[in-house]
Amino acid sequence: MLSSFLPDACCREAVALGGTFDALGMQAALGLSLPSPTIFAQYFVFAVLLGGIYGLVALGLTMIFGVMDVINFAHGALMVVAMYAVLVFSDATGLSPFFAIPFAVLLLFVLGVLVYRSTIAPIIDAPQENQLIVTFGVLLILVSGVEMVFGSDPQQLGLDLGSLEISGVFVPQGQLYALVIALVALAGTWLFLQRTMLGRAIRGTADNRDGAQYVGIDVPRIDALTFGIGAALAGLAGAVIPLFQSFTPALGDQYLINAFVVVVLGGLGSFPGAFVGGLIIGFIQVFGSAYLGGSTYQIVIFMAFILVLLVKPEGLLGGSGDE
Amino acid sequence: MSNALSRAVERYGAFRDEWYALPALVAASLIVLAAMPFLRQLALFGFAPLGLLIVTLIWATTAQAWNIMSGYTGQFSFGHAAFFGLGAYATIILTGTFGISPWIGMLLGSVLAGIYGLLIGALTFRYDLEGHYFALATLAFAELLRYVFTNVPQLGGASGFFRPLAREYADGPGLAAFQFTGDLPYYYLILGFLTVVTVVSLAINRSQLGYYLFAIREREQAAAAIGVPTYRYKLLAVAVSAFFTAWPGAFWAMYFNTIRPTTVFELLVNVEILLPAIVGGIGTVLGPIVGSFIVIPVSEFVRQSFSVPGLNNAVYGAILIAIVLYSPKGVVSWPSRFVELLRARTDLLDDDAA
Repeated sequence: MLSSFLPDACCREAVALGGTFDALGMQAALGLSLPSPTIFAQYFVFAVLLGGIYGLVALGLTMIFGVMDVINFAHGALMVVAMYAVLVFSDATGLSPFFAIPFAVLLLFVLGVLVYRSTIAPIIDAPQENQLIVTFGVLLILVSGVEMVFGSDPQQLGLDLGSLEISGVFVPQGQLYALVIALVALAGTWLFLQRTMLGRAIRGTADNRDGAQYVGIDVPRIDALTFGIGAALAGLAGAVIPLFQSFTPALGDQYLINAFVVVVLGGLGSFPGAFVGGLIIGFIQVFGSAYLGGSTYQIVIFMAFILVLLVKPEGLLGGSGDE
Repeated sequence: MSNALSRAVERYGAFRDEWYALPALVAASLIVLAAMPFLRQLALFGFAPLGLLIVTLIWATTAQAWNIMSGYTGQFSFGHAAFFGLGAYATIILTGTFGISPWIGMLLGSVLAGIYGLLIGALTFRYDLEGHYFALATLAFAELLRYVFTNVPQLGGASGFFRPLAREYADGPGLAAFQFTGDLPYYYLILGFLTVVTVVSLAINRSQLGYYLFAIREREQAAAAIGVPTYRYKLLAVAVSAFFTAWPGAFWAMYFNTIRPTTVFELLVNVEILLPAIVGGIGTVLGPIVGSFIVIPVSEFVRQSFSVPGLNNAVYGAILIAIVLYSPKGVVSWPSRFVELLRARTDLLDDDAA
């Protein structure tokens, strides 16, 4: 029953129309008229879960920015491809969607390398706007491609993972799994970057592209790898989203815009920053939609974004580049 | 190689270097556009419905206005939907809610857009936002307006506004009402808007101001070092660009029956505004017009010929990628490239003959 009140980023329009997630509905559902500690705890849990997902969405974006200085507008579109890849894989094999996640990640890695080779590599030294435009072109092609094959109606996996209940506070399991996967991805990527030679080469390229070239690092190859990993992380984020919400080809745009905010809040290129930024946005969205109504929280998010861009463009945890 | 062709190429090459070449080309293009409805009757362009031409001119006008800021000054705006939407909303709110002439609404919308542009510029330039950060900040300012209009019921909310009937605030359809019964007057009205913005763009291009803006684009610190007040001129470019972007916004509101936050502030609107300029040639006067006449008809053709939803957006994407990868100077650079190519070839042949 409570699952219909999840903070559902896909349904901003529905939220705006007074739909899925509002304080009154929540209070009515729990038989309360004023915010109580339980309600507050419930919002807190939702905010942390949503923040973790935003952190995961931002991870690949921040990595590509940190290393290559490219803003990847196609990030949300890559997520959309992964969502539908999970759908196709589970339909075709009949296996649990959890098995589809590695498949989607691998597929997106390959897609990312292809996108890099065909569109980014030729203009990596061109003005930044050119890369922005090209990745937007990739966005349009990928999203339209998905729309042409699957249509624009909402799809879902028909998976009901249920909720845990801890002293009156519900924890939807789909989002809990997503949060765990996000934390594992963070740890895994961090270990890869810190503890392997390849990771060290990526960090070196992020610090100084020319210097990396001089000491014998194959920078174009590192770029391809970075873009592939960034796309694979987008794939991971996209693949976990069907665990807890229905999806459309347009869902990527909505995550993308807030992922930009998350990445800038946390500091472009900073991994811990992505999660801190994700949590901030998660809290603004959950508490904002509860207490301000509609999608007014989105106004708060953009004001916070503009403020950070102006006052501290290196982000709250930024300044040290890639970590 | 035929002599006639090489002579024509030489003549074009010489013409291109004359000071009057650009004004002449601009005037010729506008005359062709003015004759377009008659050419349609001669079945020359019979395949192009008038509605399509109107939409093409709307995006040509927005791109022309965008170009003044982003093309000339190099401050890449990804948020011009903000100005477009302000023009549309101010016009329809003043007309529908208060019964005031849409022309006053358009003027107010343009001034509001200019002020919003000044605000964006003052904040972002003061804090030296560049490149990605500037583009993201402009996008954020546009998205901000989208959610303000979605969430404030007095501003129409998510469902927006319907255009009121002409007799509710005027004597009926006509120029004063900004509403017409057929498409033809709309066509000449938007062509008038495009002409004004194009003339402004050409005037800036040829003035001292233009040289300052180009200097800022090429190397801002050097421009500042030789005494160009860069901050002030960047602000001026934003304000002029925003002011004129609101015009096609107002036209949009009066030509189509309804506006909603998703139709005028949407992420894709930001792209539709700048796309013609990029395809035609950033920082050129003719680029936005030429680009619009490539992008919009092609996209419309694809949409109508293949009943596959989304395919026209994929075509947008493919055009964007192809232009940026293979011809970043845009389509208007092709004749010059052709001339260079033929000249190089002629030289080669002459050498062989000698």
